Amino acid sequence: MYTTYKLTIASLKMFLRSRQALFFTLFMPLMIMLIFGYIGFDKPTSIDVGLVTHNPNATTAQFIAEVKKLPTFAIHEGTLEEEKAQLDQGNRSVILDVPDSTIPAAKGETAQPITAYTNAGKAAESGAVLSILNQAIDQLTFSQAHVTPIVSVQKQEVNSHNLRYIEFLLPGLIALSIMQMSVFSVAFVFTQYKEKGTLKRLLATPMKPIQFVVANTITRLIVSVAQAAIFIIAGILLFHAHVVGSYLLLFLIVVLGAIMFLGLGYTISGLAKTTDSVPAIANLIVFPMLFLGGTFFSISQMPWWLQMIAKYLPLTFFSTALRDVWTKGAGIHDVAWNLLAMIIWGVVLISLATVTFRFQEKDSA
Amino acid sequence: MASIIEVKDLVKRYGDFTAVAGISFSVEKGETFGILGPNGAGKTTTLEIIEGLKRPTSGTVILDGKNVDKETDAVKEVIGVQLQASTFFENLNLVELIDTFASLYGRKVDPMQLLHEVELTDKAKSQAKELSGGQRQRLSIAIGLVNDPKVLFLDEPTTGLDPQARRHLWDLIRAIKKRGTTVVITTHYMDEAEILCDRVAIMDGGKIIELSTPKKLIEKLLATGFSKPVMQQQANLEDVFLNLTGHALRE
Repeated sequence: MYTTYKLTIASLKMFLRSRQALFFTLFMPLMIMLIFGYIGFDKPTSIDVGLVTHNPNATTAQFIAEVKKLPTFAIHEGTLEEEKAQLDQGNRSVILDVPDSTIPAAKGETAQPITAYTNAGKAAESGAVLSILNQAIDQLTFSQAHVTPIVSVQKQEVNSHNLRYIEFLLPGLIALSIMQMSVFSVAFVFTQYKEKGTLKRLLATPMKPIQFVVANTITRLIVSVAQAAIFIIAGILLFHAHVVGSYLLLFLIVVLGAIMFLGLGYTISGLAKTTDSVPAIANLIVFPMLFLGGTFFSISQMPWWLQMIAKYLPLTFFSTALRDVWTKGAGIHDVAWNLLAMIIWGVVLISLATVTFRFQEKDSA
Repeated sequence: MASIIEVKDLVKRYGDFTAVAGISFSVEKGETFGILGPNGAGKTTTLEIIEGLKRPTSGTVILDGKNVDKETDAVKEVIGVQLQASTFFENLNLVELIDTFASLYGRKVDPMQLLHEVELTDKAKSQAKELSGGQRQRLSIAIGLVNDPKVLFLDEPTTGLDPQARRHLWDLIRAIKKRGTTVVITTHYMDEAEILCDRVAIMDGGKIIELSTPKKLIEKLLATGFSKPVMQQQANLEDVFLNLTGHALRE
């Protein structure tokens, strides 16, 4: 016990002093969180509308002023040629060419229609623009004709807990960064030890290999709990995230996920002969999970055949369990299947590790 | 005199290749025993089998009364090793390293005392990665002494060192011997073997071709009528070098 304790202390010191480890474990995932969090994928984006006017009469000018105030329109003014060129490049959803007498100044003048040049590739947005425009026109018509609409609609806002993207992302990021840390830090470090003869030197002492493995495992479990804590704190402080479920359950899932991926890390360090081959092997397995593991978007958005694979990936079970507890307040019964799947994956990967992972060549004592 | 190591008919084969082809020798308690030979002679393999790092194909090794193959853990408690190529935990400082290795034997030692023996006290708080080649060798030996071993194994300890460092290391090995520690050293530096070793085994092709004291081996050669073609000088170039650059350690 004393030996394992001292080895754990040493291992922890070594981890914290390794700039590479700290970069991949903390810095990179935090950067991803800040970038994705502040981009604001779910803020309503404004639609680019080209506005072409000539010499509008007074009433038309008034109308144009009202159009400019319409929400979600990003108005760009220019000549028809200029705006058409921008439309060609895809920078506009709609161009509105407003003739001078859109609203006739004097009685007897014929109203001229607004010509809307729509971008065929942005049907949804151009449709939205026209719909908003027509609504504005209808309102104007009614008030001018002193007519009240037959049916009116009153909006009643209900305060539902809307899932912001950042709240979807954060539990996924925790799972992702723990996967990265568990796989890469173990694989690199142990392969390097193997390469440089450090493990051999240790074998000349009474130390049992399992003591060394346990010490390194405990270190990384401590680190993964710290990672999760940092993300939760950052999420609450910077993005006002709200953890609905139990923190204890969250950390339990974190530890389980870390153990699972440590098994993968040890397996890879057993397979890799040199530190050069570590990224090759590790990325082969980890990189697809980056996109298919439900970190950045829900797997339900994938085609069915891709979902079939993604559903059973270890990262998917991990990120889904975390997310259900974080955003829906799921209890241990609700995530039981995910946890079971993670335990199965853990058993598989750890068994694989015991087969492939060696302190030195097979022929030795 | 009691022998602390007894090697009997030791054989090590890797498939078709025979690294150690049946050797037998014993090492007396307290002696400094050298294994000489060209590269590929089987020195390192022999050493690693005695240290319990490799298993023999056949033959026995008894160290301090224990069978190395069957009681490997007990043997590891009483030996110290300095391997040919091994790095340590690069991000730990020397005190932490010695502390950690001591804990592997369930011991607590005074790191500064060990560092003093190998002249590394001023580097106590430096991380292992900051050490030069010569300093690493000295660190290796310090760590090998952490459990106050009965036998210290040194595998080519002065390879790659400058003349000052080599001489300092020789002094260190002599001091270790004075404490009563048995030292087994492999080398392909003849002057080193001549100066340090009580007895020397010359290995080649996996076999021991000669085993005796350096003096007797030289006498035996001279008796065959061998004579050195070059005239003996009172000094050689190494003496010139040391005279010019001094005996003090540079690093």
